Amino acid sequence: MSDPTSDRPEGTGDAATLDPAETLRLIREQQAAARDAMEPDGRLLYGVWGLAWLIGYLCMWVSARDTGAPEVWAGGVFSGSIVGAMIFTIVHTTTRTAGTRGVSARVGVIYGWTWFLAFVALGVMLGAMADAGASPEVMAVAANGFASLIVGLMYIVGGLLFCANQMSVVGGWMLVTAVGAALAGMPHTYLVMAVAGGGGFLVMVAVEQYLRRRRGSSEPASARAEGGGLGA
Amino acid sequence: MGWVPEELDAVIHAPARLRVVASLAALGRGDEVAFPKLRKLLDMTAGNLSTHLRKLEDAGYVRVTKTHEGRVPATYLSLTETGRTAFADYQAALMDLLKGVQG
Repeated sequence: MSDPTSDRPEGTGDAATLDPAETLRLIREQQAAARDAMEPDGRLLYGVWGLAWLIGYLCMWVSARDTGAPEVWAGGVFSGSIVGAMIFTIVHTTTRTAGTRGVSARVGVIYGWTWFLAFVALGVMLGAMADAGASPEVMAVAANGFASLIVGLMYIVGGLLFCANQMSVVGGWMLVTAVGAALAGMPHTYLVMAVAGGGGFLVMVAVEQYLRRRRGSSEPASARAEGGGLGA
Repeated sequence: MGWVPEELDAVIHAPARLRVVASLAALGRGDEVAFPKLRKLLDMTAGNLSTHLRKLEDAGYVRVTKTHEGRVPATYLSLTETGRTAFADYQAALMDLLKGVQG
């Protein structure tokens, strides 16, 4: 209905009225719409995690700075932020990728479960450390350092899996954050997590926006090389 | 105008099919999209989309996979390697035409 003449490929119907520039613009717009319908929006995911880390860890820092160790309310805000970001990520990703299947979907499921299992393992290990008599200070340094270590490695791997170099760069930065958080000691380890970790994610919102705009304006130049794109 | 449709792939060079191919090219290699999702994305009627998909399948550009999800029949679409190459060539031809017009 949008193109009644197109059943005659040899005809000079609607298509002939589009000039090359308009046609290339149509392609760009359609591919942007397709990606929005089928892939998660990096800006949203980085934004949600950036806010969760910034708010959660800042509360932990403020509370630990006053009393030497985070108070219950701060722990509650932190847990709520992280769980909220997790739920958003799962809902957003599954909604966007629903109706697609194949290599990316299989890789995505395994990748998602790896996140989950890694943090379950981390929780169990931290519990064992506490049982073995680790002090609150040791616990805080270990929790923040190991969490950033997992995040860093997962982002580096994610960048490789999804052909997204910027994601691997975030991973590298998170390894720097892990070192910083471990060296900072209590209570500043939380400040490092909030500013370097949360701030790092928030910087990525701007980077994703930039990449999105650049892709929207320069894609034809690389059309032959990309052959329509390798995907996420 | 320097706009010579003969230089362009006639199978792709029709707005509706161009939108289908561009959308499928946004998928990663080895990925497929379900018919209803593609139909919604393109905002076409099922009959119209089927007609265009058949033409693209006949040209060897699109792979149509019919399967079952539980008891419900489902159809998945993806670009073939031939289709990806044809789309890349089509875009390159457009770029050449554009340069010709400007130069």
